[in-house]
Amino acid sequence: MTTLKAQCPSCAAPIEFKAGSSIVIICPFCRSAVARTDRGVEDLGKVAEIMDSESPLRVGLKGAWNNVNFELTGRAQLKHELGGYWDEWYATFSNGWVGWLAEAQGRFYLTFFQPLKDVTLPTFDGLQLGQTVPEIPSKTPLMVQEKGTASYVAAEGEIPYKLVPNEKESYADLAGKDNAFATIDYSSQPPWVFSGSQVTLAEIGLGDAKPAQREARHVGSDVVRCPNCGGPLSLTAPDKSERVTCPNCDSLLDVNQGNLTYLKALTPPPSEPVFVAPIGAEGVFPDGAKYKIIGAMQRSVTIEGETYYWYEYLLYNPSQGFRWLVHSDNHWNFVEPVNPADVENSQFYGKGAVVKYKGKAFKIFQNAIARVEYVKGEFYWRVEQGEQVQAVDYVAPPEMLSLEMTSNEMNWSLGTYMPNEQVEKIFGVTALPRPWGIAPNQPFTGSFYYTWGLLPVLAFLAIAIVMLPLRGIPRTTLSQQIQLPAAPSENAPQAAFSQPFQIRANGNVKISASAPVNNSWVDVDVDLINDQSQEVESVNVPIEYYSGVEDGDSWSEGGQDQDATLSSLPAGQYTLKVEGTWQNWQQPMPVTVKVEQNVNRGVNFCCAGILLLIVPILGIFRKWSFEASRWKDSMFSGGSSGGGSDDSDDE
Amino acid sequence: MFKAIYMILAIVVIAAYATASWFGWEFANAGSNSRLGMPFIYNGFHGGK
Repeated sequence: MTTLKAQCPSCAAPIEFKAGSSIVIICPFCRSAVARTDRGVEDLGKVAEIMDSESPLRVGLKGAWNNVNFELTGRAQLKHELGGYWDEWYATFSNGWVGWLAEAQGRFYLTFFQPLKDVTLPTFDGLQLGQTVPEIPSKTPLMVQEKGTASYVAAEGEIPYKLVPNEKESYADLAGKDNAFATIDYSSQPPWVFSGSQVTLAEIGLGDAKPAQREARHVGSDVVRCPNCGGPLSLTAPDKSERVTCPNCDSLLDVNQGNLTYLKALTPPPSEPVFVAPIGAEGVFPDGAKYKIIGAMQRSVTIEGETYYWYEYLLYNPSQGFRWLVHSDNHWNFVEPVNPADVENSQFYGKGAVVKYKGKAFKIFQNAIARVEYVKGEFYWRVEQGEQVQAVDYVAPPEMLSLEMTSNEMNWSLGTYMPNEQVEKIFGVTALPRPWGIAPNQPFTGSFYYTWGLLPVLAFLAIAIVMLPLRGIPRTTLSQQIQLPAAPSENAPQAAFSQPFQIRANGNVKISASAPVNNSWVDVDVDLINDQSQEVESVNVPIEYYSGVEDGDSWSEGGQDQDATLSSLPAGQYTLKVEGTWQNWQQPMPVTVKVEQNVNRGVNFCCAGILLLIVPILGIFRKWSFEASRWKDSMFSGGSSGGGSDDSDDE
Repeated sequence: MFKAIYMILAIVVIAAYATASWFGWEFANAGSNSRLGMPFIYNGFHGGK
């Protein structure tokens, strides 16, 4: 088709179909959707005025994708059956292509019509969330992420298909790895498929101008009046919000393009909500963007009759979209949406279930029905008290992967644990309530002591190995039998001297004594006499040996050998003075003495090793105790321990 | 903080072990005649009995 100039059939204003691919043009004067047909033009009805969203895009904007230039020539606003709006922009390419650029919650999806031949797609009712649709050609499997119904409520510019105002269409969104994305449009038979990928503005040649404008945009608030009590309330994202609560009368209000309608009074929750962070608080979060808290809710799960509560704060940034700040047991998590196709999910949600995200394994921690107990502020969906979803949490500290499922939608999100100090810094506050217990994805911060902290042990082992040859091999410097003469009385000690021998410096000295005692004893005092200085080192070597038979069992106690080891002595010539008393004092006592040096006893090694292992062992015990505390709160505590690579070293 | 203290203490222990090994000192006597052998604790020479 070519350029067509005509008159609006509704208001007679001049209109022009500039793009050859355009089927419908929105009359800029009367907002009629005018279709061009074989016979001329046809009025399809009026569309509402485009709601002023905070989109960075506008009709007429030019970009490029895959080195092909395009211009945004039209735009439609669609309303989800459950509330919420999103924009579809139509990109007319210089080579004749037509692209669909969908914009929702700060994310952009560029898709193109994909004709399918001899393929039967699943019916809309037959589609299951989470199932893959192999009928659509794609580099990666495409998984059904959302099913829904939407209607066209507003449009502008030129539209490349027959847009009928307020006509409802059923659709399914599919996502795959590497940002692959597709939509099945069930408004026609057979259904149309649009496939492409999630893109950034920079990737489609719109990154230079628009982000700068968006960053400069202040997250402001529109002040409106509550239709119930007349009190003032503010809307931070009037174009995206579907629900807001009135802080004056505690009413839940519907938001329709910034217009408020009273719905009902909020009912007090069973547990008085304590919102630690106030609505309106702003701060720069870990992803580097500044977010504002625009809503807060108290949620709960009931497990084995016990109800647990936590708080979720809705964060908003015009260019990033929505995020969550989760506050549970005074632990904090920053939560971001995740592409469901990036999660390897076996669809098994029981004990031992593991999902993988970006190569990291997450263990199932909880699977329960989460319920909204109380809401405050504004929300981008039609939130209700009592709203329930199936919530499944998987942990790989410091991250938690959460799946929330309803009958027509499944959402994955990734929470990252934030220490209290970090949250205090973000909001510029102090003394946030201290957390209690161990959070499901709280990282263990003491792993240093059994990881890097083992380095001293390794160094010690290396030094011990090196020291073995450096100390020299053990050597015997004296081995002599000394005869102690019979004593004149029982307590009269008898003494004898050894032959002189040499002691070297820097070597321990082991003195061994043995005597042929049998059911008797000998108490030997050995004096090590330095022949030059006459200084004496004394050791006592008691020897006793007893044996016998009792009740048919033989027994023995003690031994005929005993020894003692001394630290190194000054080098020089030494003599042993061996003095003893013994049980059979009437008879002489032969005592064999032996002096050795550089004996490897291992006592030093064991002492140092034990000292060095105390802290790592305590660290491992602490880690075990930490993991036990973490998993005792899990429905699947059998899958405890381990913790994988969850540790950080922040202490 | 604790990491630094732990590392310093570990280095002290290793240094003590290496020094004792080099000079032939015994931290402790494992026999029945146990006596600490560190020279600065027990200096050994008393000039006779």
